Amino acid sequence: MNLKFHWRLLQGGEIRGVTTRATGASQRATGLPDPKHQIEFCRQAEASGITGLLTDIGASKPDPLLLAAGLGLATECIEFIVAYRSGLTLPTTFVQQLNTLSALVNGRVSLNIVAGHSPVEQHYYGDYLAHHERYARTEEFLAICHAFWENTGPVNFNGKYYRIEGGKLNTPFISPHRSFPELFIAGGSDEARSVAISQGTLWMRLADTPENLRSSVPPVLAAEKEVGLRMSIIARPTREEAVRAAHELLAGLDPSMRDRENEARFMIKSDSVSINATYALAEKEWLNPWLWTGAVRTHGAPAISIVGSFEEVANALIDYAELGVTQFILSGWPKLEEMILFGREVLPRVRKLESRLHLTQNA
Amino acid sequence: MKKRALRFHWSMSSVGEKWRGAKSRAAQNGIPDLEAHVDFCRRAEACGIDSVLTAFGFHRADPIVLASALGMLTAKIKFMVAIRSGICSPTALVQQVNTVSALTNGRICLNVVGGHTPNEQRGYGDFLSHDDRYARTDEFLTVCRAFWEGDGPVNFKGNYYHIENGRLNTPFVAADRTGPEIFLGGSSPQAFGLAARHADCLWTLPRRPEELATRITAVLESGTEVGILVSIITRPSRKEALSAAQSMLAEVGDRARKTQQDFSRVSDSVAFTSTLALAEESSSDWLTPWLWTAAVPYLGAPAIALVGSYDEVTKGILEFTKAGVTQFLFLGWPDVPEMIAFNEEVRPRVLAQYDAGSDISQGTLLNDEAELKRS
Repeated sequence: MNLKFHWRLLQGGEIRGVTTRATGASQRATGLPDPKHQIEFCRQAEASGITGLLTDIGASKPDPLLLAAGLGLATECIEFIVAYRSGLTLPTTFVQQLNTLSALVNGRVSLNIVAGHSPVEQHYYGDYLAHHERYARTEEFLAICHAFWENTGPVNFNGKYYRIEGGKLNTPFISPHRSFPELFIAGGSDEARSVAISQGTLWMRLADTPENLRSSVPPVLAAEKEVGLRMSIIARPTREEAVRAAHELLAGLDPSMRDRENEARFMIKSDSVSINATYALAEKEWLNPWLWTGAVRTHGAPAISIVGSFEEVANALIDYAELGVTQFILSGWPKLEEMILFGREVLPRVRKLESRLHLTQNA
Repeated sequence: MKKRALRFHWSMSSVGEKWRGAKSRAAQNGIPDLEAHVDFCRRAEACGIDSVLTAFGFHRADPIVLASALGMLTAKIKFMVAIRSGICSPTALVQQVNTVSALTNGRICLNVVGGHTPNEQRGYGDFLSHDDRYARTDEFLTVCRAFWEGDGPVNFKGNYYHIENGRLNTPFVAADRTGPEIFLGGSSPQAFGLAARHADCLWTLPRRPEELATRITAVLESGTEVGILVSIITRPSRKEALSAAQSMLAEVGDRARKTQQDFSRVSDSVAFTSTLALAEESSSDWLTPWLWTAAVPYLGAPAIALVGSYDEVTKGILEFTKAGVTQFLFLGWPDVPEMIAFNEEVRPRVLAQYDAGSDISQGTLLNDEAELKRS
């Protein structure tokens, strides 16, 4: 199977490149779709060999499913990885919305299911469940979604969080390839991994070094599910240039360190296992010669980055592939330019290395 | 009192279906035909229609997803998106509505419905009774309006919803509003009360205009407008209109009739069941010389129709305006030719006479005895 590379969709207000939580979420602009620049970004992603674009979910963003519907109508082949969480919508409604979207964009949609990371934000929506209960509810939510996608008759379900009686929908999931969407289950906790195994198609977690991932991946692969990583890329012609770009990323920030304080304040309120774990990893700036945590405490946990020359970045991605990782959701800075550079310089190198990897695996 | 401008909307529910309502819900195709919908929207734009209704039901595509897609492919038309409480968090709904507003420059309004079929509600995980659904909708709209009308974090604690410091970064985007226009459908006392409290306009089903005038007095006095959901069959002459109406009935036939009877047995909607009963029990198919109920047993409550020549249908519409109705949500079989006839022939007549008429106090009606005898 070829590795699949996705990118995080450009959000409103991000066209100038760097947006940290401090300069981003406090601005109204992140709440507004920016169709002009986002469509441009989608088309560039299509041209750069990117498979899908992650559309974030959160109270500071537009609704991801509807944003995907809007952008999907203006694009041809890019897929949308819609982030979603239980506790906002009943599962029947959600399936109806997602299936409708699939029918409008010919199946160019998959899901990145998150459990939520901020109790404060969950309360905005009337959701008061604790971390482990949210996973239990997500499990029920997805079991009901699957029952609709299997489409074998009226759906009945009586669980702890949901009760459905005789559920029917006339709008199926439409895709040339699948009867239900790819389901990425995001989260670093054991609960997240077990939901990925029981209900998902892929376990999506924040990156760590290949060594640290080595033990957590095999149970997922053994269950015939995929493993994906959420991380960032800083690739330049030489390692020196890449490291300089990484450091410039931080140098460009508000000298008052407002970004760092804001991120720290966000962390205090978060009950996400993986976000907290990645924040802790960032005690150390380099986890190995190419895995850099320098931006985690200002730009958020997904800013854990592969930093290096095009060749080094491609090799690092192959290191993960050798563990069994098959998909990546990437970010970079400046947002558009890094994606273009990745498509032009890194991706061809990855494909070349990958074909060798397949040869050795098949030998 | 100063007269309000009349506004005209059209239902988009039948795109891709020749006889809306003739097939059971379960037998309908839920896969949206994008091209047909875009074509319908553009025709509605050309016909000066204010908004198109995207309805809600298990047998349909999701209305708000459809609206956001169609909004990207159209320029002027507004989308009247049907919503129900009980299927999502009010905060999540506000976020979705605001997202569509931002993508379409405010071309979204809401049609709040209470739900009409307990069986269907249970398929969504909603087990409340008719009256409780209205109580929940009351809370739901209170929360939504706090997001749209307030300027701070939203806090609410009720029987159904508990929101703490709710905030969203995506505002409702429109040139002239901070939140969507809210239409609310229903015929029960609960619906009327809720519309008076929360809605800009109540959608209800037609009755004889003088009867309707009495029923809607309190809603109008609250400052909420009243609109009716009504079908339209208009032709150059009354004879042609009647023949179109009759041939429609002949074509849809008895299977459609059974579909409606089956639906009525499982529905707890006061609007739908009382209209069906009215049509089944009344001795005549005509409530007024141009208000025809014969299609209701075949095609459902919204099939109560204004039938007649352009002048007659004009009169029928004006009678409703005299009863206090200022907005109309039309359906036709098929929709597009009817929409074109309405735009070219009926609307100009209606507006000329409405504008020429003296300011009318609510509830006064001029009954034309001669016209009534003619039926």
